Amino acid sequence: MTGELRRSDLRLLGVWTRAGLRTFMRTPRAAFFTFVFPAVLLLFIDATASGHVTGAGGRVEAAQYFTPSLSIFGLAFGCYTSLVFSIPRARERGILKRVRGTPVQPSVYLGSLVAVGLLGGIGSVLVLVALGVAKFGVHLYPALLPAALVTLLAGGLCLSALGLAVSSFVNNAETAPVVANITLLPLMFISGVFAPLHGAPAWLHSLAGFFPLRHLVDAFSIAFSPHTTGSGFATGDLAVLAVWTLAGAAVAVRRFRWDPGEAASGGRDRQPRVGAPAR
Amino acid sequence: MLSQVSDAPVIDVRGLRKSYDGLEAVRGVDLQVREGEIVAVLGPNGAGKTTMLEILEGHRARDTGQVVVLGFDPERSPRAMRERIGIVPQETAVEPVLTVAETVELYAAAYPHPRPAEEVIALLDLEEQRDVRVSSLSGGQQRRLDLAIGIAGDPELIFLDEPTTGFDPSARRRSWELIRGLGSAGKTIVLTTHYMEEAQRIADRVVVIANGRVVADSTPATLSAEGPALIQYRLGGELMTVESEAPQEDLLELLLWADRHDVQLRGLTVSQRSLEDVYLELTRAEAP
Repeated sequence: MTGELRRSDLRLLGVWTRAGLRTFMRTPRAAFFTFVFPAVLLLFIDATASGHVTGAGGRVEAAQYFTPSLSIFGLAFGCYTSLVFSIPRARERGILKRVRGTPVQPSVYLGSLVAVGLLGGIGSVLVLVALGVAKFGVHLYPALLPAALVTLLAGGLCLSALGLAVSSFVNNAETAPVVANITLLPLMFISGVFAPLHGAPAWLHSLAGFFPLRHLVDAFSIAFSPHTTGSGFATGDLAVLAVWTLAGAAVAVRRFRWDPGEAASGGRDRQPRVGAPAR
Repeated sequence: MLSQVSDAPVIDVRGLRKSYDGLEAVRGVDLQVREGEIVAVLGPNGAGKTTMLEILEGHRARDTGQVVVLGFDPERSPRAMRERIGIVPQETAVEPVLTVAETVELYAAAYPHPRPAEEVIALLDLEEQRDVRVSSLSGGQQRRLDLAIGIAGDPELIFLDEPTTGFDPSARRRSWELIRGLGSAGKTIVLTTHYMEEAQRIADRVVVIANGRVVADSTPATLSAEGPALIQYRLGGELMTVESEAPQEDLLELLLWADRHDVQLRGLTVSQRSLEDVYLELTRAEAP
């Protein structure tokens, strides 16, 4: 799927990323969910949460927990949901097929989609953190900022890889929002995005611990905790994210389809698969 | 027209077959296209035109047969091939929120020697729409944008799948001029169409496909020159029609007869059958 790459591909990645950002900014729904919605949630949750909460980084003031946890909400919308929404739509419209017929390398095109998601997602996190600092007295700890940035990048890449993988299972653009929400929202609830998991039963901890989102929320909130010592890299959580990133990328490489016509037949684009109808 | 003739055909297809779930869409097609040729592929819906085109473009894998496009096997869809071809698919497929100029520039950027975007936009009469979003274009304007994207990379081989569907007559004629102009500039063009006049006006060669097979392959003129001519005239108010296998001899005889009897043949015409007549006959004969 990657093929040979040239230096000019880097420039092309920039050209397509810029066009993708334009598209993103001109699609009000995507911009709203990524930038405005997390901020509104922070306002509401901070108004209802009382005093202190206990998260992965220990007992902290509510805003000090919810600012990083809701940041992951924005990051997930930018990196994961937007891909699960837009790839099946682009496939159904024939955009993917058109791109496939040009010299744009698949990795350059998909890379531009991921870059747009990362920029949108990380941008939304910056907006939310700025809001938290300005309005809710959230403290930033300079020693922890490198860990926060690395976690954000690792989490964004992981969510993007999973978005690419999941989008390859969506044959019909109309079902894409359902798939995106059904896979993401329950995970958000059990991963401490809207409320810390402190005090939840052990089985819920185990269930949430299997999926990457919990580890992303934990790693990011540790980078905002006054109790964190050292550089704040949650290596165990980051390792889980890396595993999910590789798994998502592997599925995406195997299953990604460009042609709307092939969607119904389960992606036998180039070579016949075992069990495919006789050809 | 063939300015730089090279020996190897630009497209060389032999014994091409492709089926979907047991149904054969393409059943043994042979086709050679030389550099600078404009070839129109005609055929009823479902005849296998688009399948064949998509195999040539590298979008679809074939079952059997040999296919060479610009020296490449399109099934591997090598980048070096994609840099030299332009594809205008049947349906508009671009981001609706980008403008015309943004879209043309975006697609042109991928080619090693693209045409200037402004030049392409002007060629397709889209200057007034250059800053208009694609979603606000009319159907014909969107189709012209498709053409603009197809030629933005200055490709030497261009595939056009029903390029003028939805055009008004004047836009269609301008597109014909554009396509003929590309042909004169040495580009090789393969197009599908349902408009016989389009094939007749712009194509050097017409290939008729029915039921997955090539049932005719020749120049539009030769194709419609096959079969009897029609001689028509009015005699005493009555329209006379003569089907003639040897129009020259028959006409001479008719004129001599009229002269001898001092008869006026009003509205005298001699015509070949139209391409459409021939096409309908060919595709009817092949119907299952």
